Amino acid sequence: MPRLNNISKLEALRKNLQKKMKSFHTTMIICNGTCTQAAGSLDVIKSIKKELTRHGLEKDVHVRLTGCHGFCEHEPIIVFEPGNLFYCHVTAEDAKELIAKTVLKGEVIERLLYEDPLTHKKFRTEEEIPFYKAQDRQLLSLNKFVDPCSIEDYISRGGYGALAKTLTGIAPETVIEEVRESGLRGRGGGGFSTGRKWLECYEEPGDEKYVICNADEGDPGAYMDRCLLEANPHLIIEGMMIGAWAVGARQGYIYVRHEYPLAVRHARFAINQARAYGLLGDNILGTSFSFDIEIARGGGAFVCGESTALMASIEGKVGEPRPKDIHTVKSGLWDKPTVLNNVETWANVPSIILNGSKSFASKGTKGSKGTKIFALTGQVKNTGLVEVAMGTTLHDIVFNIGGGSKNGKSIKAVQTGGPSGGCLPVSKFGLPVDFDALTKAGSMMGSGGMVVMDEGTCMVDVAKYFLNFLRDESCGKCVPCRLGVDRMLEIVTDITEGRGRPEQIDLLKELADTVSEGSLCALGKTAPNPVLSTMRYFYDEYAAHVEKKRCPAGVCKSLISYTIHPEKCEGCGICIKACPHNAVRGEKKKAHVINLLECRKCGICVAECKFDAIMVG
Amino acid sequence: MLQYVTLTIDGSSVRAAKGTSVLDAAIEYGICIPHLCHVPVLSDTGACRLCIVEHVKNGRSTITTSCTLNVQEGMVINSNTEKVVKLRRNIAELLVAEAPNSRAIQDIAVRCGVKDVRYPFRNNNCVQCGRCVRYCTQFWRANALGFVGRGKERHVDYPLGVRPDFCKNCGSCTLYCPMSVTPCDGPMKHGEERLCGKCESQLSMSVGLPGACVKCELGKGFQCARQA
Repeated sequence: MPRLNNISKLEALRKNLQKKMKSFHTTMIICNGTCTQAAGSLDVIKSIKKELTRHGLEKDVHVRLTGCHGFCEHEPIIVFEPGNLFYCHVTAEDAKELIAKTVLKGEVIERLLYEDPLTHKKFRTEEEIPFYKAQDRQLLSLNKFVDPCSIEDYISRGGYGALAKTLTGIAPETVIEEVRESGLRGRGGGGFSTGRKWLECYEEPGDEKYVICNADEGDPGAYMDRCLLEANPHLIIEGMMIGAWAVGARQGYIYVRHEYPLAVRHARFAINQARAYGLLGDNILGTSFSFDIEIARGGGAFVCGESTALMASIEGKVGEPRPKDIHTVKSGLWDKPTVLNNVETWANVPSIILNGSKSFASKGTKGSKGTKIFALTGQVKNTGLVEVAMGTTLHDIVFNIGGGSKNGKSIKAVQTGGPSGGCLPVSKFGLPVDFDALTKAGSMMGSGGMVVMDEGTCMVDVAKYFLNFLRDESCGKCVPCRLGVDRMLEIVTDITEGRGRPEQIDLLKELADTVSEGSLCALGKTAPNPVLSTMRYFYDEYAAHVEKKRCPAGVCKSLISYTIHPEKCEGCGICIKACPHNAVRGEKKKAHVINLLECRKCGICVAECKFDAIMVG
Repeated sequence: MLQYVTLTIDGSSVRAAKGTSVLDAAIEYGICIPHLCHVPVLSDTGACRLCIVEHVKNGRSTITTSCTLNVQEGMVINSNTEKVVKLRRNIAELLVAEAPNSRAIQDIAVRCGVKDVRYPFRNNNCVQCGRCVRYCTQFWRANALGFVGRGKERHVDYPLGVRPDFCKNCGSCTLYCPMSVTPCDGPMKHGEERLCGKCESQLSMSVGLPGACVKCELGKGFQCARQA
């Protein structure tokens, strides 16, 4: 492998690679991220490769295994180039037909095309599909063109061009000014201005500085960082290198969860490739800039996503936050000035340098610029990764991109920002996704998890779920977070189990204030958000639980009972067979009855009944 | 040579050496800020959150622990505002509900104004203040104790749960443990825990004097300047 010791060599390599790419007759892009592998992509790839060998097409057809494209609901996905033909839900059995018809004859297999669930219209290319059409995919669109295990793919698409541009003619101050001008704000949740952070670190004296990429993503339902690191690791490496050049760091770390094995593997592979090409190491591209990246694997503690806990973890200490009276840009990793940014923040840097801050700042709102990736999950039709310009309304994301409710129930709320965020009701769906607007509404942008909930979700139960998560994931160092969250969970559990007293709601509020004001780190300070936001927007549900001892959504088991409507019941006996506790009695053709003493409220009979005769209430 | 800075704590001007914490400076001047995890010879971690104060900066006040906050020239600190007192009371209430069988914690709770406890008592043996762990690791450098686990599972333990050879049997962990001071009436039975409030009668005398504290057993192990 040639060492690229000057910029002209990089450009020459790029030209060579582009020529080589053009020599292929067809390129089959098969997504192969963690989510796709779960959907069975490995079998698909195996059988496609076998078919290609059988037809002797290995040299003409290029198979590119990429990371996730974002449309996780319809994976495995195959895209054909040229032409951009888009197939979804491909199985291993389809391989033969794929090669025989589409590759050899250029025919379209109608069965594998994406079909809109509402209009039943079929779409041939990715661009036409409403899910993609409504988005503004600046980062995610790159995933399609890059095999994460191939630096050649990345370079041929113009990769490391921003680095070359930086190293040959942009002073660190100018880089920082450019990033500051762009208005890029930290994508990990805090929303601090990236340029300002870099400037503060740059101004710190000392020649030992660090840059860190935070890939310790732990929010339930969020996976955009994993996807980016898995799909395009070189983009993040390039971003980190530009950041390191700007602040004067020689060493970088990627802190990634051990639970993301593919991301760890791809990042490690990418680093080794970059080292082999001389893009990491001493005197990069023949300049005086030297930089290297190491991977630090996290054990999967949620709290290690907090900056000081993360740095303690890299140092080999217990991952507990420390008070941040002195900021990490002044004294961070090994007490040296450190810049810590989220995966998505780093990924945005190369394009800012290459295309200028103006093109980045042209998208978004006054306070929040650029695009943001959200992990859209929950009760919507199209779950997946969604990238939209800042300022897009929640309504657009949930209904236009997400396709609305999955099972016909009306949508009630969306939970943004993970355990530190809050639940916003439908009445607030006009809100734009913008750091300040969401914080004002009592939620937060967070790292970008978005869980959509419908009428079948009890908001008190949601609060209980997040409190339970936070109680287990709190590091336990400071009293308000360790004991306060635990007591909040105790109270909320009381409420969901029918022991709630009216004064407990006030106590819950007071406790929430104590935890958010008194805790040591951001995890504790934002821990009461799920409770506070559900109380703010869904107070009637709390009141129903406490005063009427009723769960309006029919979720809290202690507060509901199952009864059979005597007129609707046809006496088919299906529920009698289905009930694992033998709680349903009755004769054939006569209305059945549920014995409430034996009923464990598992809900199996409701799912089995064909006449909607079983009522929850 | 030592450099000194002047700061304002609760309205009074205080001179302190550079590098000391606000809590140390306050204690030196007899301004009593309640605290639990702070031990003079050890580094501070800000874990118990009892020593929270309001730090007024550019017209905005932030809540922070005084033990981890270093003194700076012209700093304005309020340790007794309504907000801080309420927060501190709630934190002390959480602590005493967790460990009613400690005289030290009971005293702290009463001193922080806890009148009644709104949570069911739990009667744990440890409030995880970390005094023993830090004394063992920082003072003796024995590393025989440490925190294990996180969240609800977090507890103090020996390495791998077995007492190691390098434990020097110094007994500091017991000496510095707030749980080793039992309430005046002896340990409370399970299910009969209550706020004993023995110090309350003394407390009433000092009402109205901001920063005044009670002469209590707390001073012995817990560095209260007014123990004499």
